[in-house]
Amino acid sequence: MDYAVETISLTKVFSDWWGRAKVYAVDDLNLQIRHNEVFGLLGPNGSGKTTTLKMLLGLLHPTKGHALLLGGDGTDPKINARIGFLPEESYLYRFLNARETLDFYGKLFGLSTRVRKMRTEALLEMVGLKAVAGRPVGTYSKGMARRIGLAQALINDPDLLILDEPTTGLDPIGTRQIKDLILKLAERGKTILLCSHLLADVEDVCDRIAILYGGRIQAQGRVQELLRQTKKRQIVTDAVSDVTVEKIKQILSEEEAECEVSSPLEKLETFFIHTVVEAQQVATPTSGAVSTTQIGDFLAAEVSKESILGRLVSTREPRDEPAAPVTTEEPMVPDSGKPGPDRQLLSELTKPTADPETHGVTPVEEPQARPVEHEDRAEHIRKSVLDELAGRSSSSEEEEGSKKSQPEDGESNHA
Amino acid sequence: MPRIWAVARNTIRQALRMRVAVIFIVLLLVLLPVMGWTATGDGTLRGRLQTFVSYGLSLTGLLLSLLTIIVSVHTMTSDIEHRQIYTVITKPVRRSHLVLGKLFGVVVLDVALLTLFAGIVYAVTVFLPKLYRPSAGELREIDNEFYTARASLTPPDIDVSAKVQAIWEQKQEQLKELYSSLTTQEILEQLTTLERMKKQAADVGQRLVWEFENVVPLDPDQRLFIRFKYDVSLTPADEQVYGDWYVGDLRQTQGGTDTTTPIYRVSRRDAIDTFREFEVPAAAVARDGYLAVGFYNDPSWNQTVVLFPLEDGLEVLYKAGTFTGNFIRGVLLILCRLIFLACLGTLAGSFLSFPVAILFCLVIFLTGTVSGFVLESFDTLGEKANLIYTYTVQGLVKLLPQFDKYHPTKFLVPARLMSWSFLGKVVFFMVCIKAMLLLGLAIVLFSLRELAKIVV
Repeated sequence: MDYAVETISLTKVFSDWWGRAKVYAVDDLNLQIRHNEVFGLLGPNGSGKTTTLKMLLGLLHPTKGHALLLGGDGTDPKINARIGFLPEESYLYRFLNARETLDFYGKLFGLSTRVRKMRTEALLEMVGLKAVAGRPVGTYSKGMARRIGLAQALINDPDLLILDEPTTGLDPIGTRQIKDLILKLAERGKTILLCSHLLADVEDVCDRIAILYGGRIQAQGRVQELLRQTKKRQIVTDAVSDVTVEKIKQILSEEEAECEVSSPLEKLETFFIHTVVEAQQVATPTSGAVSTTQIGDFLAAEVSKESILGRLVSTREPRDEPAAPVTTEEPMVPDSGKPGPDRQLLSELTKPTADPETHGVTPVEEPQARPVEHEDRAEHIRKSVLDELAGRSSSSEEEEGSKKSQPEDGESNHA
Repeated sequence: MPRIWAVARNTIRQALRMRVAVIFIVLLLVLLPVMGWTATGDGTLRGRLQTFVSYGLSLTGLLLSLLTIIVSVHTMTSDIEHRQIYTVITKPVRRSHLVLGKLFGVVVLDVALLTLFAGIVYAVTVFLPKLYRPSAGELREIDNEFYTARASLTPPDIDVSAKVQAIWEQKQEQLKELYSSLTTQEILEQLTTLERMKKQAADVGQRLVWEFENVVPLDPDQRLFIRFKYDVSLTPADEQVYGDWYVGDLRQTQGGTDTTTPIYRVSRRDAIDTFREFEVPAAAVARDGYLAVGFYNDPSWNQTVVLFPLEDGLEVLYKAGTFTGNFIRGVLLILCRLIFLACLGTLAGSFLSFPVAILFCLVIFLTGTVSGFVLESFDTLGEKANLIYTYTVQGLVKLLPQFDKYHPTKFLVPARLMSWSFLGKVVFFMVCIKAMLLLGLAIVLFSLRELAKIVV
């Protein structure tokens, strides 16, 4: 099978001066990342994540085994032309300003002046550095350097994006933007290898993850499969009346399931972003990076300008390939959203006979972190399910819509 | 090529942001015009010009050499040290192209700076006489002996082997006893040198004649310059030697039939141990290209043996090119050196850290500037060494650059012509062979090495 990233018995041993093996940084690593997949490589410091990336990119030579990127060698210029790489720190030329930086990297890709200029401006706009694009990169804060680092990784519109700790040093808005960007790029058919120890970031965007420790994969699989608590169910509703709550409890008590009811807390990230966006609307001046919502606009805008990019704009391909090493995986759903555990619960709750293993419901504060475009659909599901739970009569159309929205694999969406 | 040029441009920017580069550039911009005022030489206008050209080009060459070493090493090591290499080499750029790009950047910078500073030296050299309002005689002197490029004729080596062999056969036992620490070969070499020196020595009242053939002055109206240096066995009180010179077809005095070629007599006093010159019309050359120069050690003035050093005791110079042409070739000679050093710095930076690479390059650079001495030392050592030495160390020593041998001031100060063929030879050996070997090695080492630091 053709993988976007593949390692075969990849091993890196660091030796001392006398050639004696000291540390196995990466030990017999077999990794397969499919095309159009957001893959997270997780692990504590020193677990071999970055060493793996360096071997993939040809910066380090494997002691044993092979590393393949897009079916080829990471040092092959033809392969490099299709890759975007953001190292763990941006590592840029301090004396170049942001515009010169992007222009330089654009030249390394052999892009024409017109394309370079267009992409440079679009990327500067996207990462919110247009106002400070004339300043040398050496004077940038860590977060700003991270943004320009990300921009350089995207200048060639890569098929495979390798991001090493992309959100390090970024403010919450920047972090959120990068996560949204990753999802957007994934929608456009890109493969993304994300290397991080910030679990929340990985959880929000990755389809599959592998956890490294001591240079070996300790666990691997789809995120929701690995995290799913199969013995619990969770449902989030609008502020329904106590009567409705009691009815729900009553239904659940029939299954002898325990139930907790409380108001969900807003995520700090969401609260922070709201606050800053409000401040932006009253035009409070800042000398730093400007948070924009241009990610989607940039990608969409570029489609109309460049045929090559336009070709790349497509919905994510159905991922029906069999799961790789770990057994927790299931076939991917041809869906642009991020299915969550409560979708399954909602589905089951609407059925006349409930799953006997369902025990309780826990409030979730996750929905705001999801991409906006998934919400309408989730809203639709939520309304129809809640109507039924509340005993209201729902139209047949709504019922049909509700059923259509339910994935065949029985998973439920949460909003 | 666009990628190589992109890397080259970035390298130039990187170099110009380095403080050391700025310091060197400012230093040269200030020092070169100031030297135009302060360089006095022997007090004559010609001396001023010679001193300024010598110091100006030497300083430019030295500072640009150091700058080239620093920049080429820095550009290679800095990217690895500060890890910009991660974002560059993961783009579609071959490692060889990256090395070439960086080298190209350094060379372009060298060409630009060398053009600027050589331009300043040239401008000051041409402008300097206007400041001093020289007399007609001085003007003529600098036109003939400085603002020109003269071909040089040196006397052919005289074969003394028969004489040496005769002496050896006659006094073998005595010589072996006298020089017991020397090998037979060394004794013979010393005898040869001694006999050749005798041929260049004029005892009191004795006459010396040097004969040249195939002398072809470009213009019969031009002048010939006899350049010489006196050594003496007994230093006179005034440190001067009286010379009675005859230049022309001296075959006439030995029964020759052609009497149409004039013989010029020049009598003059000159200081010992310094190069001096006098001129005669080119008409002194016979039709068949024969020219003889005679020196008479007049006993009424001198009481010492007068010797002319073997290497450069006497030569005949005549105009064969322009100062500007010679200056340009001299600057190109410096450029050859800079290209070699850029390749050397690139090689050192491809596998060594910054301080070690700089040290390595400086050792090679300094060795190259005294290469005559170094090569001679190794040659002496080689005579006593075994085959392993001959095929290893000696081979490497041959790769050493010879900056001292190919220095432009050796040509510009005595206004001696540097031919294009000479420059071509330097370009071939120093740039095409030696520098390209270094570059090839740099590309191989850089392509094979790991570019990331090991962090566990």
